[in-house]
Amino acid sequence: MPEPSSNPHALPRQFIRNFSIIAHIDHGKSTLADRLLQATNAVSAREAREQILDSMDIERERGITIKASAVTVFHHHKPGAKTDDLETDYEAPIDDSNPDLHRPAPGRKAAPEDHGDLHMLNFIDTPGHVDFNYEVSRALKACEGAILVVDATQGVQAQTLVNAYLAINENLHIIPVINKIDLPSARTDEVADEIEQTLGFTAEDCLLVSAKTGQGIKELLAAICEKFPAPRTQVVPQLRALIFDAVYDDYRGVIVYARVFDGKLKVGDKIRMMGIGRSFLVTEIGKMNPKPYRLPHGEIGPGETAYIVAAIRSLKDVRIGDTITLEQDPATEALPGYQPPRQMVFCDFYPATSEEGESTDFEDLRDAIEKLSLNDSSFTFAPVHSEALGFGFRCGFLGLLHMDIIQERLEREGGVEIIQTAPTVSYHVLVRGKDTVTGAGGQALRPVDPASPFRTNVPDHFQLLEVHNPADLPDMGHIEEIREPLCRVEIMTPKEYIGDIMKLCLDRRGTYKSQQFISASREMLQFEIPLAEIIYDFFDKMKGLTSGYGTMDYEVISYKPDNLIKLDILINGDPVEALATIVHRDKAEFRGRGLITRLKEQIPKHQFEIPLQAAIGGKVVARETIKAFRKNVLAKCYGGDVSRKRKLLEKQKEGKKRMKAVGSVTIPQEAFMAVLDQGD
Amino acid sequence: MRQDTALPQAQQRHRTSAREALEAGPGPHSPGFPPVRSLYIHIPFCFHKCHYCDFYSLVDTRDRQEPFTDRLIRELTALSPWAGRAPLETIFVGGGTPSLLRAEHWARLLDALARLFDLSTIRAGRGEFTVECNPETVTPELMDLLRKGGVDRVSIGAQSFQPGHLKTLERWHDPANVARALDLARTAGIPRQSIDLIFAIPGQTPEDWRRDLSAALDLGTEHLSCYSLTYEPGTAMTARLRRGEFTPAEEETELQMHEVALNLLRSRGLDRYEVSNFARPGAECRHNLAYWRQRDWLAAGPSASAHVAGHRWKNFPRLDDYLSHSDDGFAPITDHELPDAVRAVSERMMTGLRLREGLSSPSLLRDAEAARAGSSARLQAAAMRLAGEGTLHIDGPVWSLTDRGILLADAITVDLMAALDGPGR
Ligand SMILES: Nc1nc2c(ncn2[C@@H]2O[C@H](COP(=O)(O)OP(=O)(O)O)[C@@H](O)[C@H]2O)c(=O)[nH]1
Ligand code: SF4
Ligand SMILES: [Mg+2]
Repeated sequence: MPEPSSNPHALPRQFIRNFSIIAHIDHGKSTLADRLLQATNAVSAREAREQILDSMDIERERGITIKASAVTVFHHHKPGAKTDDLETDYEAPIDDSNPDLHRPAPGRKAAPEDHGDLHMLNFIDTPGHVDFNYEVSRALKACEGAILVVDATQGVQAQTLVNAYLAINENLHIIPVINKIDLPSARTDEVADEIEQTLGFTAEDCLLVSAKTGQGIKELLAAICEKFPAPRTQVVPQLRALIFDAVYDDYRGVIVYARVFDGKLKVGDKIRMMGIGRSFLVTEIGKMNPKPYRLPHGEIGPGETAYIVAAIRSLKDVRIGDTITLEQDPATEALPGYQPPRQMVFCDFYPATSEEGESTDFEDLRDAIEKLSLNDSSFTFAPVHSEALGFGFRCGFLGLLHMDIIQERLEREGGVEIIQTAPTVSYHVLVRGKDTVTGAGGQALRPVDPASPFRTNVPDHFQLLEVHNPADLPDMGHIEEIREPLCRVEIMTPKEYIGDIMKLCLDRRGTYKSQQFISASREMLQFEIPLAEIIYDFFDKMKGLTSGYGTMDYEVISYKPDNLIKLDILINGDPVEALATIVHRDKAEFRGRGLITRLKEQIPKHQFEIPLQAAIGGKVVARETIKAFRKNVLAKCYGGDVSRKRKLLEKQKEGKKRMKAVGSVTIPQEAFMAVLDQGD
Repeated sequence: MRQDTALPQAQQRHRTSAREALEAGPGPHSPGFPPVRSLYIHIPFCFHKCHYCDFYSLVDTRDRQEPFTDRLIRELTALSPWAGRAPLETIFVGGGTPSLLRAEHWARLLDALARLFDLSTIRAGRGEFTVECNPETVTPELMDLLRKGGVDRVSIGAQSFQPGHLKTLERWHDPANVARALDLARTAGIPRQSIDLIFAIPGQTPEDWRRDLSAALDLGTEHLSCYSLTYEPGTAMTARLRRGEFTPAEEETELQMHEVALNLLRSRGLDRYEVSNFARPGAECRHNLAYWRQRDWLAAGPSASAHVAGHRWKNFPRLDDYLSHSDDGFAPITDHELPDAVRAVSERMMTGLRLREGLSSPSLLRDAEAARAGSSARLQAAAMRLAGEGTLHIDGPVWSLTDRGILLADAITVDLMAALDGPGR
């Protein structure tokens, strides 16, 4: 066996650690990742920018991580030590330009070996938002350990628990870390109590850290080496590597992140994706440090993570959770896989015209969407046509935040201007008979995927169809029942707001499940609430009611039938499909009134009166009228300053061009978005 | 004229002069150049800034009347070749408060006009020479001087005959002085007169308004300009509105007032010949008609706008700049627009539809089609739709707005401009 320090990439299994950092949003996961990179000298302090692992602009602005990134660093640890020396104590900063220099340089103060055994730490930064739980779980599958970060000022929050449960489910060893102890408002002891109360870790288990000042980092590094188990030994000789992430790179195509469990993988190997059944030739194997570098020997073995380039052209050719094996000597059984991501929230995107008069057309929008889908395979899209808005796309997302992110990236990276319609959840509609049922565009409605865990209770002579566009809803007479996604919702709240939160949840057709004691001041409530009610303004309401202190997480657990109906909006007597929604019968009037009130504010006066109506199957449940304008002329003509006046009118004309026509009524594109502002 | 003091620094440094705009068109000496027949002169002085006012005017605490008049005469000298040797048809001196210019300066200005331009048509009573006057500043001497200089029309800014409403506008004059001013003008031999009124003043009722109109009619005026109060950005009135110091007139009230004016004035023989202007047949303001009919005119004085050979520009609106910058007499300008066929058609629709006489559609459609292929058919279709909605009257070749349509002139112009553009530009 070669000297570990002369070739760190050939370290024996017992010196490898694979782990994730999990936390509630803003508790300091990214900052801690940076600090670890810096402490292990992967990045010099000078170079350390804020949140290195969040690479996309949009992530930086939103402060969240969309794509999990795997990073490899090296660190010396003496067995049994509770605290480690940092490499910065004896090492010159690593020169990133030369991969062969990615090993400890000759020591200045002492030889590196004197600081213990060289360990390879592979860590994965995970996203922290509810919409991306599936990304968290797939990252966790590649790990043996998880660092659970809890903010010392915020304490245990909804996603702290949800993420911790995910890690426990994967049998990971957890190191609880109380972060931000440098802050004067840190309540370290109380937070330790909360962690004990909710997760059963004792105060001694918790490490106290400041990701900001670096306090506690040496102890954390020692604990990572000491407590996290080494990767398991291989159980079959053939290659089995788990794909836990994939990103699209403009130059090299798809870059796959994989964790090897069994066998070896090297450059030049012909690999096969066991699930999808496709083969590719590996051209590059490397790691991120955090910049990518090729592995000098182009080979990885059991326990390691790496990125793989194999001339894969599209993210559609890769399935996260799939097992990579060798074409020549394939494994017989794949590693336990993952559930594919499920799109739960849908809305339409249509091309729009910007205030500067730049108009996007359908082709521009399609190009932008296709390009983005190379980068994010977890949203779906299909062309749609709306009478008011023309040709566009119906897109499916993991959740609301995911929808916002996609919309923003399309506008920012794709340079297109978009009108977005109100989001809808994906409904399951039970209809009698087996005949093909068509939607608004004449397309056949898709039956619910037979592999879906939510496809239950479909009697003989019935079919269960997926409908996520109110316009596609079959005639009510043919519908046996409409089922909607039901979520388990966990809300962590200070005690004084429990009453308000209860009321909010019950108002939103929620069912109370349980209440859990967190600390003297906080409780966790568990409810079951239809997803449709959650995408309708729930998060903002919950934040508002709890003065910003409440946190929540949700997960779709089942589909449940309820008294759901289609609410039509009629403008000047014409139904506008883009404004139709599916709502609970008891809420139809209330929602309808809110909608047309907002529309009334958005639609300018015309030369005729415009009735606005909300209706259920022809029965009007709410109405408003936009009065006709009778005067629209500037009194004076400015003694000949015709240019100025003309420019004013030209501006109005451009504004008018941005509008969409519904019959003889022109509607500003903003009106279609106004239905999204659900201030009730 | 509007006050545009907030122009970017850069624009102020690299400004051009009216010479460039004028010389970009056919020169005054080139054969076939149609001489410009109208002239606007802007006198920027006022003794108090009215709260609703966004014209370029200032309270001149440093008394710059003399250098201003000198400068103005130099500008008129520079401009005069563009009138050629042909007689001017209309002159309009506006402001500001032209009647605030002292007699000695008026005398020099009128001399210069007589020397530089051919006023024969005006003197023969076949043209028009208007001076705007504030009721307080009209004196027998001034009227006499103006008459001798060729002035044959005064426009008196009465705004209202009710002191309470004048106060709301921060307009300080005794309403009785309107009658006095008109008398003095008439006595001096100035035959034509107009009165400016404002309506939709906060607190004003339709009945108040009817009384103002009657008062104006009783003074024997044959021309009335009735402006509904508008809240222009940057005015004191708008600031007060924002602060919630008063409630603006309801749209409904304003509409009633339009109706009151139309009915009352029609019954007394004054028809609406433009959105805000009423006159006995033949008493229309010919100078303003020149604007609306897209004629050419020269402009002198700060902030004055000109239109010559398809070019439009505006003199720089600051007295200091006007006084300190001179390109051989030409004034610094801003917002210079070159001739552009689509723009010209848009402006023709915009100004033409304000007039009762309307537009001549055959030439409009021809020019529109030449400017943008396919637009003729689109404009015709839009016109048919408007006619169907009862806002446009199609009478053979003439398109004009109906009584209902004229109050929607802007919206209709926007419709037609969109039709001119066509879909997806
Ligand atoms: N004072 C202090 N602030 C911290 C610490 N760790 C993170 N932060 C700040 O907390 C905020 C959220 O951190 P971030 O790493 O983005 O959290 P993430 O959402 O979990 O990735 C940022 O403003 C960080 O600068 C810490 O130890 N001390
Ligand atoms: S007198 Fe006329 S120009 Fe002068 S401030 Fe009053 S409204 Fe404006
Ligand atoms: Mg982060």
